[in-house]
Amino acid sequence: MSVLVEVQGLKVYFPVRRFLKTVGVVKAVDGVSVALEKGETLALVGESGCGKTTFGKALLGAVKPFAGKIYFDGQEINSVDDRQLEAIKRRIGAVFQDPYSSLNPMFTIYRIVEEPLVVHGIGSPKDRKETVFKALEDVKLVPAEDFAYKYPHMISGGQRQRVAIARAIISRPEFIVADEPVTMLDASIRVEILLLLREIQRKLGLTMVYITHDIATAKYFSDRIAVMYAGKFVELGPTKDVLKNPSHPYTQALIDAIPDPDPRNRLSFRKVVGGEPPSLINPPSGCRFHPRCPFFMQGKCDASEPPLYSVGPDRFTACFLAEHQS
Amino acid sequence: MLLRVENLFLYYESERGIVRAVDGVGFELGTKETLSIVGESGSGKSSLALGLIRLPPKNTAKYAGEIFFDGLDVMKLSDEEFRKKVRLNGIAMVFQGAMNTLNPVIPIVKQVAEPLIQGFNIPKNEAHQKAVETLSYLGIKPEMASRYPHEFSGGMRQRVAIAMALVTNPKIVILDEPTSALDIITQANIMNLLKKLKNEIGTSYIFITHDLALASELADKVAIMYAGRIVENGPAEKIFNSPKHPYTQLLIESVPTLRAERVPKFIPGAPPDLINPPSGCRFHPRCPYMIKGKCEREEPRITTVDGDVRVSCWLREEM
Ligand SMILES: Nc1ncnc2c1ncn2[C@@H]1O[C@H](COP(=O)(O)OP(=O)(O)OP(=O)(O)O)[C@@H](O)[C@H]1O
Ligand SMILES: Nc1ncnc2c1ncn2[C@@H]1O[C@H](COP(=O)(O)OP(=O)(O)OP(=O)(O)O)[C@@H](O)[C@H]1O
Ligand code: SF4
Ligand SMILES: [Mg+2]
Ligand SMILES: [Mg+2]
Repeated sequence: MSVLVEVQGLKVYFPVRRFLKTVGVVKAVDGVSVALEKGETLALVGESGCGKTTFGKALLGAVKPFAGKIYFDGQEINSVDDRQLEAIKRRIGAVFQDPYSSLNPMFTIYRIVEEPLVVHGIGSPKDRKETVFKALEDVKLVPAEDFAYKYPHMISGGQRQRVAIARAIISRPEFIVADEPVTMLDASIRVEILLLLREIQRKLGLTMVYITHDIATAKYFSDRIAVMYAGKFVELGPTKDVLKNPSHPYTQALIDAIPDPDPRNRLSFRKVVGGEPPSLINPPSGCRFHPRCPFFMQGKCDASEPPLYSVGPDRFTACFLAEHQS
Repeated sequence: MLLRVENLFLYYESERGIVRAVDGVGFELGTKETLSIVGESGSGKSSLALGLIRLPPKNTAKYAGEIFFDGLDVMKLSDEEFRKKVRLNGIAMVFQGAMNTLNPVIPIVKQVAEPLIQGFNIPKNEAHQKAVETLSYLGIKPEMASRYPHEFSGGMRQRVAIAMALVTNPKIVILDEPTSALDIITQANIMNLLKKLKNEIGTSYIFITHDLALASELADKVAIMYAGRIVENGPAEKIFNSPKHPYTQLLIESVPTLRAERVPKFIPGAPPDLINPPSGCRFHPRCPYMIKGKCEREEPRITTVDGDVRVSCWLREEM
C-alpha cells in the first residue's frame, strides 16, 4: 500500500474580529497528523464545530493552514505554484452537505456535471458528452438522457446528491472529500446514497475522507475512523476496532450517547457525560476533554496535553490513561 | 382515553395545488402515556401537531376532523373556551426549532412566567417563583434565570423551551423534534431529562421525530406516518420487534446500528409528493410486496392485528 495524502501537524486558525480589530483566533484545527493509504476511506467524526469541515477544506486547498503540511502524492499543496496546484486540484473531488445550494439552479444537470471538465479543459465537447452520460449512469441516474436536461428543482434531494457525486467523479479524481454528504437527506435514502458512494469508491479505487457526525453510518462506510474533539484527533484506528473497543473517554462518551432502535431504551437512563463542547478560542488547558471527562486526573490531565499514544495495531489515542499501555 | 383523534385533515393551498399534509389521521393517547409519531421529512408530522392545537396556518385549504380531549369536543369549542380549557393547561407544545425563537431581549425567567401571568392572572412574583422552580427542575440554576437567551448554549435554550411548555402543568405536551438541532451528547442529556419528567410527573407526551432510535428512548406507543397518514400504530415492543407494515419493516432495516451487526438496507424510490399522492396505498410505488391490481387501485382500510396493532396494508387485510 502506498500513501496518497499525508497531513503533518496541520493547524488552521481563523481571526476573531470585533470592530475591525482582531481580538483572538479560533483554533479550528490545532495540530492534526494523518496519512491516507490509496483506496481507503477515513471517516472523520465529532460534534458540531469541532473542525471537521475546516480539516476537509484544508485538504481541498480551500483554506490556508496556519502551520503544518499537506502532501498530495508527494507534493506539498501550499508550496507548489499555481499551475501545479491546478493540476493537483484536478485529481481531487468534493461532495458537500447541501444538495440544494451546491447545484446552480440556472444550469441543467448536464451542464452542472460537465463543468469540472470545462474548467480543467478536459476533452472535446463530443468526448465530454460521452463522459457526462457515463457519469450519470455511474450514479444510477438512468436513463441518463431523461435526467441530463432537467434542472435541479425538478429532481428529488436524493437525486440531487447523485448529481453532486457525478460532478465530483467526472474528472476521474483519485481522492474525494465528502463532507456530510447525506445529512440533509431523508433517513430512507441516506443508506442508498452511501452504498452508491462506497460502490463507486471501490470501483474507481478512490481514496476518501467521509466527514460525518453520524457514527453509525461511519461504522458501515469507512475503513478507519478519526474522532475529533475541539480541533484535535483524540482517537484514530480501524473503524470496527475503535467502535467495539474505544480507548479514548470521549469516543466512549459519544458511543454511550447514541441509541440503537430498541424499545427497552425507554426503561433506563443513558449513561452520558455532562458539559458542552469547549470554546475553540480559549480551549481548556491540557487535555481539552478534561472538564467533562469521568476519568480526569487532577494535576495531570489539566497540566499538559496528552500525545497520541500507540495502543495496538494501527491504533492511537490521545489520553493519559493509555500512557502505560503503549 | 385522554385524547382521541379521528379523521383529522389539514390541507394547504400552494402554487402547484393542494398539499394534503394530514389526510385522515386517527389515534388515541392515554394518561401518562408517550406516543411517538415517526415519519420522514415532509410526511406531515408538524402539520398534525398544528392540527391538534388548532393552529392551522393562513393558507389552510381544509381543516376538519374530531378531537376529544379530557371529555371535551375540541373542534366544537369557541376560541375563548379552547384557549381556557385546552391551550392554557391542557395541551402544551414545544415547537420545532423553539430554542431559536426565544425572545432575545427578555430575560428567560420572564418568558417562562408569561403564560402564568397572562393566562391565570397569577401575581407576578408568584409566577416568577414558579418559573424559577420549573427552570431549576430542568437543570437551569436560579442564578441563571435572569439571563438572556444569547447567554445560553443550544442545550440550555432547549431546556428553557421545555420549561415554557411545562410551567402550566399541562396534561399533554407535544414535543416536535426537540433535539434534532443539538449535539449527540447534548441530545442524550435532553432525552434523559425527558425520561425523568415522564417518570416523575404524570404528563402524557406526543413525541415527534424522524429518528426511530430516538423514538425508542421515550415511546410507549409508536405511530408511523407516511405521506399524511398513519400506516401503523401500536405498542413500541411490537412496532420495533415485529413490524406489520412493509414501510415500517423497511424503515427499521434502514437504520444503521452501532451495536448490532447488520448491514442497513435502503428503501428504493423517493418519498411521495403530497400534492399528487400515489393512488391506492400511498406506499405502493416503493413497496416490495405490492399486489398488482389491488394496492395501486384501492386504499387499504385500517385493521387491527396482533391484538392491538392498527395497520393499513392489503397484505394484512387478507389474513
Ligand atoms: N471562515 C471562518 N471564520 C471564522 N471561524 C470559522 C470559519 N469557519 C469555521 N469557523 C469556526 O471554526 C470552528 C470549526 O468549524 P467547522 O465548520 O470546521 O466545524 P465542523 O466540525 O464542520 O462543524 P459542523 O458539524 O457543525 O459542520 C467553529 O468554531 C467555526 O465557528
Ligand atoms: N404552510 C404551508 N403551506 C404549504 N405547504 C406546507 C405548509 N407547511 C407545510 N407544508 C408542506 O406540507 C408537507 C408536510 O409538512 P410538515 O412540516 O408537516 O412535515 P414534517 O413531517 O413535520 O417534516 P419535517 O420532518 O421536515 O419537519 C410538506 O410537503 C410541506 O412542504
Ligand atoms: S487525558 Fe484525562 S481528561 Fe483527557 S480523556 Fe484521558 S482521562 Fe480524560
Ligand atoms: Mg461541518
Ligand atoms: Mg416537522
